[in-house]
Amino acid sequence: MRFIRKTSYGQDIQLFKHRGQVFWYGLLLATVFGLPFFIDSFYVGELSMVFIYAIAGTGLMLLVGYTGLVSLGHAAFLAIGAYTHAYLMTHGWPLLPSIISATLFTSLIGGLVGIPALRMTGIYLAVATLAFAIIIEQVLTHWVSVTGGFRGMPVPLPQLFGVDIHDALSFYFFCLAILIICLLLALNLLRSPTGRAMRAIRDSEISAQSMGIHLAYTKTLAFAISAGFTGLAGCLLAHKIGYLAPDGFTLLISIQLLILVVVGGLGSLHGVIYGAFFIGFLPQAIALMRDYLPTKISQIPGLEPGIFGLILVLFLIYEPLGIYGRWLKIRHYFEEFPLYRKATHQRQKSYLRTERLR
Amino acid sequence: MSLLKMTDMSLSFGGVLAVQQVSFDVVEGEVFSIIGPNGAGKTTLFNLISRLYDADIGKLCFDDENITRTPAHHIAELGIARTFQNTELFEHETVLHNLLIGKHVYRKTNLLSEFCFTPRVRRQELQFRREAEDVIDLLNLQRYRDQIIGNLPYGVRKMVEVARALCIKPKLLLLDEPSSGLNPEETEDLSFWLEDINEELGVTIIMVEHDMNLVSRSSNRVMALADGKCLAIGSPQEIQSNAEVLRAYLGD
Repeated sequence: MRFIRKTSYGQDIQLFKHRGQVFWYGLLLATVFGLPFFIDSFYVGELSMVFIYAIAGTGLMLLVGYTGLVSLGHAAFLAIGAYTHAYLMTHGWPLLPSIISATLFTSLIGGLVGIPALRMTGIYLAVATLAFAIIIEQVLTHWVSVTGGFRGMPVPLPQLFGVDIHDALSFYFFCLAILIICLLLALNLLRSPTGRAMRAIRDSEISAQSMGIHLAYTKTLAFAISAGFTGLAGCLLAHKIGYLAPDGFTLLISIQLLILVVVGGLGSLHGVIYGAFFIGFLPQAIALMRDYLPTKISQIPGLEPGIFGLILVLFLIYEPLGIYGRWLKIRHYFEEFPLYRKATHQRQKSYLRTERLR
Repeated sequence: MSLLKMTDMSLSFGGVLAVQQVSFDVVEGEVFSIIGPNGAGKTTLFNLISRLYDADIGKLCFDDENITRTPAHHIAELGIARTFQNTELFEHETVLHNLLIGKHVYRKTNLLSEFCFTPRVRRQELQFRREAEDVIDLLNLQRYRDQIIGNLPYGVRKMVEVARALCIKPKLLLLDEPSSGLNPEETEDLSFWLEDINEELGVTIIMVEHDMNLVSRSSNRVMALADGKCLAIGSPQEIQSNAEVLRAYLGD
């Protein structure tokens, strides 16, 4: 058990709470920077995909996990980011200005989507964002002059300051750098007044309002920020897949992102990383597993989404706090070791707000 | 000088007349209690003052400013803070973070500087933290500082809510049944704190309360409500012996 002796208020707003954290995060950083030199380039590519998922997941986590607004339409923001970036690059924009413009444009669209969403919460909001995603899918198919319609459009190769970065290794580092920047931005946001306002809205809109938080503004902002992060992930995704087509941004992608934040653990940025690994590597694991299963089972169509769905349901029932929540419990077990009480994490019966006596 | 002045306010929900032509004013520095049987419209009155509801007719003035149509999120900035009957805290946050939300109206940083966590944002955070710590000291919440609200007993939550409201540094504090769910000792403590808040911090208090002991001990004036109508306004003793008030509570 670690007791942190606090001697200044500044300690509470530090990114690292104690020396141990500095050590472990340092080690993690060294690992992710060193790892690609030791593993197969296929896995380097897969890892950069995980990083892209994590960037998009950070965006969705800020919205779902921290502001309490559910979105089923984040594939649309991914698509808007990807297409805008590809469009700008084909028109001769350099990589970074194009990425930044695409990100800002996506967050603008996100803010606009957020405005009608202000009056809705929960399932209604989810349906509204779903409708938005379907509209965007239609736009992608029919606005042929810009998106290339069904044929899709090729994405120019990424060049950073005149250096090609489309090989697996340099693209890996590019994605990693952007992911780290995104995580830092999100962490900073969450320890500032705006991040606190978002969490306040998640927990109680009525008292957030009485504490002087402008609900409409903060929710729109949350949508814009979330869309921005997702759009940025879209830019990277465009380079990763190299060729954009409408069927790459279907409802399934939105659901995958939602699974990412739920399985990872709502309300934690660690959860985003766990969730991204989960989403990124589960298809590989299923593919590997197929070889060992009897043909009757392994040939079932739709095995992959089925397993995804099953895991999501199991998580919702047995571990609503996701992988990160499970990790906290394991850590707690070892910290307390001989004195761990099983009841500490027993779930109490909780009531929905509507069931509560008001 | 009157701090809050409500003139002829009415509000109906469909056919239910929740508040009918209520007028009262609260003088700066006093403790003003609102009593009344269940469903009398006490909480509705609070929601009108904190602008969560729009009145059908009537006028509301705070500090010589007409706030009848001011948006709800602007009320805190003007200096009106409130608590809720069944506590509306931010459940998944620590006590400290709940208090820091109370500092939201004082933020001077913009989104871009927060994304970069510039030295200015850091200074502001430290300043907020120091001020929140003063409130923690005042209400003796030190041992709960880093605990999640969801794990705290009800009595402590009630006090955290008062603390959060105090973080706004309000001129006017609205307390909706501060003593409900508190045991006798806690209620005793509460009455001392109300005195401290009122006298030392100079905060004007309006409270809805059922505990007549607490009401007569701490309030300067009392308003009795029944069926959305104001029955009487006066000192606690006057109200307790008022014939109409007795009828509203006990029947004919």
